[in-house]
Amino acid sequence: MIELAPLAMPHAVNDTSGRRPWRKLGLQAAYYGLCTVLLLMFLFPILWSLLTSFETAAEASASPPSYWPSHFSLENYRNLARYGQGIGRYLGNSAGVAVMTVLFTLVLATLGGYGFSRFRFPARNALFMLILATLMIPFQSILNPLFVLLRLLHLQDTQLGLALVYTTFQLPFAVFMMRNAFDAVPKEIEEAAVLDGCSPMSLLIRVMLPLVGPGLATVALFAFFGSWNELLAALILISDSRAFTLPVMLINAQSGQLGSVNWGLMQAGIVLSIAPCAALFLLLQRYYIQGLVAGAVKA
Amino acid sequence: MRIPFLVRTLAGGLAAALLATVAHAQAGQEITFWIRAADAGFVEPLVKTWNDKHANKVALTVIPSDDFVTKFGTAVAGGAAPDVVAIDLIFVPAFAQAGQLSDIGAEAKNLPFAKSLSPSHVRLAMHNGKQYAVPFSAESSFLLYNKALFKRAGLDPNKPPTTMAELEADAKKIAALGGGVKGFYFSGACGGCNIFTMTPYIWASGGDVFSADNKSETLDNPALRNTLAMYRRMWKDGVMPGGVKTDNGSNFISPFFSGKIGMQGTGAFAIGLLKKDHPEIDFGVTPLPGEKGGSASFAGGDSIAIPVGSKHKKEAWDFITWCLSEEVQVEQFAKNGSIPVRADLADNAYSKQDSRFAMASAAMQTGRTPYSVHFNQLINDPNGPWLAMIQEAVFGRGVDVAIKEGQAKFRQILATP
Amino acid sequence: MLTLIGFKTPRRWAGFFFILPCLAVTTMFFIVPLLMTVWMSLNEWPLLGHPSFSGLKNYVDLFQDASFWGSVLFTAKYTLVVTPAIFLFAFSLALLVHRGVRFVGIFRTAYFLPVVIGMTTASLLWTWLFNDQVGIFSAVLMDLGWVDEPVQWLGETNSALVSIVVMVLWKAAGFTMVILLVGMQAIPIDLYEAACLDGAGWWAQVRHITIPMMRRTFALALTMSFIGSFLAFEQFFVMTRGGPFNSTITVVHWIYRASFTYFKLGYGAAMSVVLLLMLLVLSGVQLYLLRDEP
Repeated sequence: MIELAPLAMPHAVNDTSGRRPWRKLGLQAAYYGLCTVLLLMFLFPILWSLLTSFETAAEASASPPSYWPSHFSLENYRNLARYGQGIGRYLGNSAGVAVMTVLFTLVLATLGGYGFSRFRFPARNALFMLILATLMIPFQSILNPLFVLLRLLHLQDTQLGLALVYTTFQLPFAVFMMRNAFDAVPKEIEEAAVLDGCSPMSLLIRVMLPLVGPGLATVALFAFFGSWNELLAALILISDSRAFTLPVMLINAQSGQLGSVNWGLMQAGIVLSIAPCAALFLLLQRYYIQGLVAGAVKA
Repeated sequence: MRIPFLVRTLAGGLAAALLATVAHAQAGQEITFWIRAADAGFVEPLVKTWNDKHANKVALTVIPSDDFVTKFGTAVAGGAAPDVVAIDLIFVPAFAQAGQLSDIGAEAKNLPFAKSLSPSHVRLAMHNGKQYAVPFSAESSFLLYNKALFKRAGLDPNKPPTTMAELEADAKKIAALGGGVKGFYFSGACGGCNIFTMTPYIWASGGDVFSADNKSETLDNPALRNTLAMYRRMWKDGVMPGGVKTDNGSNFISPFFSGKIGMQGTGAFAIGLLKKDHPEIDFGVTPLPGEKGGSASFAGGDSIAIPVGSKHKKEAWDFITWCLSEEVQVEQFAKNGSIPVRADLADNAYSKQDSRFAMASAAMQTGRTPYSVHFNQLINDPNGPWLAMIQEAVFGRGVDVAIKEGQAKFRQILATP
Repeated sequence: MLTLIGFKTPRRWAGFFFILPCLAVTTMFFIVPLLMTVWMSLNEWPLLGHPSFSGLKNYVDLFQDASFWGSVLFTAKYTLVVTPAIFLFAFSLALLVHRGVRFVGIFRTAYFLPVVIGMTTASLLWTWLFNDQVGIFSAVLMDLGWVDEPVQWLGETNSALVSIVVMVLWKAAGFTMVILLVGMQAIPIDLYEAACLDGAGWWAQVRHITIPMMRRTFALALTMSFIGSFLAFEQFFVMTRGGPFNSTITVVHWIYRASFTYFKLGYGAAMSVVLLLMLLVLSGVQLYLLRDEP
């Protein structure tokens, strides 16, 4: 589970005088009750989508909706798997782009974060703001120039081009996180290594990197989420349908005539989109939350 | 005679090169073909059939319908257009005017069946006297009605309404059945759906949306006024379900499947869909009526064109001709529940099986289609003036206000080049 | 080269080499397209066709464009509603899961999970939930007998706005919650213990210790949420298409329409520049707030 540092307990529940045990129990019950209700509220849409994805396509589009599948069916998943050139290809495309995005972001953000954190050079703050400015422009505004640019670089219609674009949009958050992660490392460690004759690069790789593991995990996870779920750039910048990513394929798969939607297929698609992200998050959440923690402290 | 080594090598090399060229030519070119997701159902088997039989392969790319114009426009603007594209016929004037489509007039005229191609498609493919596209798929609009509900409401299931007044009365009777049953349905938040299914009432009643030269609007006419008023009355009287106000087309046909909708406008695709997936619904089709009788239909569907940047124009044209051939129009389109784009093929083995298809084909031949280079901005745009006018008239402040505001906005857009 | 970076070159320039890669990528794939966009804003630039220089005409037209400023107003209204909503909700969640009791990790994870889903997917999911025909919310209300007909959640401007805010709360609260948790972490326990000894109840402690000491964290969370909300697009595009009656169109939606429905890239570019300037001002405010010493 997520482990934060010792937490304050500014609550009367902390009263261990033992004078009113039933009151303490009542408050605890109320507390857990509230948390559980909220938990159900947060998880409900996802669980409901999961349940509906196992209905037949006809039942999923039924009005009014069924509360429980009349019989479980993998029809939606079968339809999804068969769509276009087979789901495996689109999953592969998405995975390829995501892996590249994660790698590029990690490398660039680590180097950049280190540079901004540990060195003083002219225009340091201005350049940092420049990188952050990427957050302030919606992709829709630069989509056309970006298309033309990628074509000039012969990167249009390639996974590499798409990954580079995704990396660019991840950089503000990633560099911010890594800079703060490096800020949190005590200077003494560095100084000791420099005295031992370390060059800045090997200092970074051998000494600092292991200490910012949580930051790296955070950056990697966010880069993965951002790349895996992105639709508009993937749609506009990739033209060969064999290279389409998962979100584009899903939108196509669930559209019917004149705007009608195949609801069952849509649920299966949603489950498929969420599953890797949720799995990754649950597996790595220790690092993830800790990374955000380290990153945000210096805000 | 001994041939010198050098000569032999050269000859060998030349032969190899020639063989490679021939082999490459036989291996075929790749033709890129873009379509909207809405068409994927019938185009994918079509492309597969072509690829099985021909050396030149078609690489199909399916694009989400909502983003089609964005993607195609960006690609064209960036010099990355496909070799062949199938677009909703109403977009062709805009792209032709922008000089993005190849002039295929000469080739089109040489087709043996040139005269029986859907007249609406051909008309919309013309710009400044040149032809830039040919028909690809056909979709006509008509009125769909639930025979079982007609019976329950005491109406003759074989006598669907022939005037707008009858339609309104019938719808009211059906809605009176109660229990969630409603008399009429339309997608009230979808501009394209309504130019498809609402305009025919206006045409059949003698009115129109655009002037004959397509340069100005004629929204202020009794036919349009009365059509909007009819919809408004049906809404206020509770004859339509509440969802019509927000349906952006995603529920264009599905409410009918529940068996609780008496009548609605729809396209030929619905016939095949209902027969295949919902055989339990006893449905009938009839042309969309005018105020005093008569009928009209919107002739829609896709046109197919060759963008200007294509490097495989000849191969693309071969593919297009194949798509228009009898074998394809009957065995691929008609067999799968679509109607052919050629009038000479309207009467085919499959349409004979079900008279409802024949009705749809007949509607296609007399169907109308407005021509405008601003079609997308005016009609299809979910935030555009056509939909705004309908929404204001039916759900908002009333028909008069709606028409007045609509006229102003139409004029503003039509005034731009 | 590495040794050069190490000792021959002055240390200040070493840093420059480290940030060069990310700067290069940002310049190539953001700054360059941005400059192209600025150039486009000075032209009549149709999507399909040939551009022609028009100077500041797009900007002049823009200042007189009522529907654009209408979208700015709507976006501002949306932002002013959703930002405090997310903040208050996230703060309450943070207070709840701040303690180290059993199972709190599960609760934290559940509240954070919607954050990992993309905004487009989340919008589609909630469109389905709100749908009057196949959506579960209307079905439940009808079965409970609370309503006779399916509710049109997205049918009126205000109910649509509230429905979308609910969706955004679900999706984004977890992220703000974690940022706030971090801020709470930094407060020394001694302060709380002293207050407890003085007899201060839970709410008094929150009011007098937690809130004042988290000013900087609040500033960070609020401004990030603010900018994100100002750039809102997908949730409106997917869920309401800007309806009903074009009353839920945001600024980015307007930019998208100008560029791809009306094919006026130059005009869309001008809108983008104006939006950027507005956000730069807001970020300037953010910087000012963050620089404040408590």
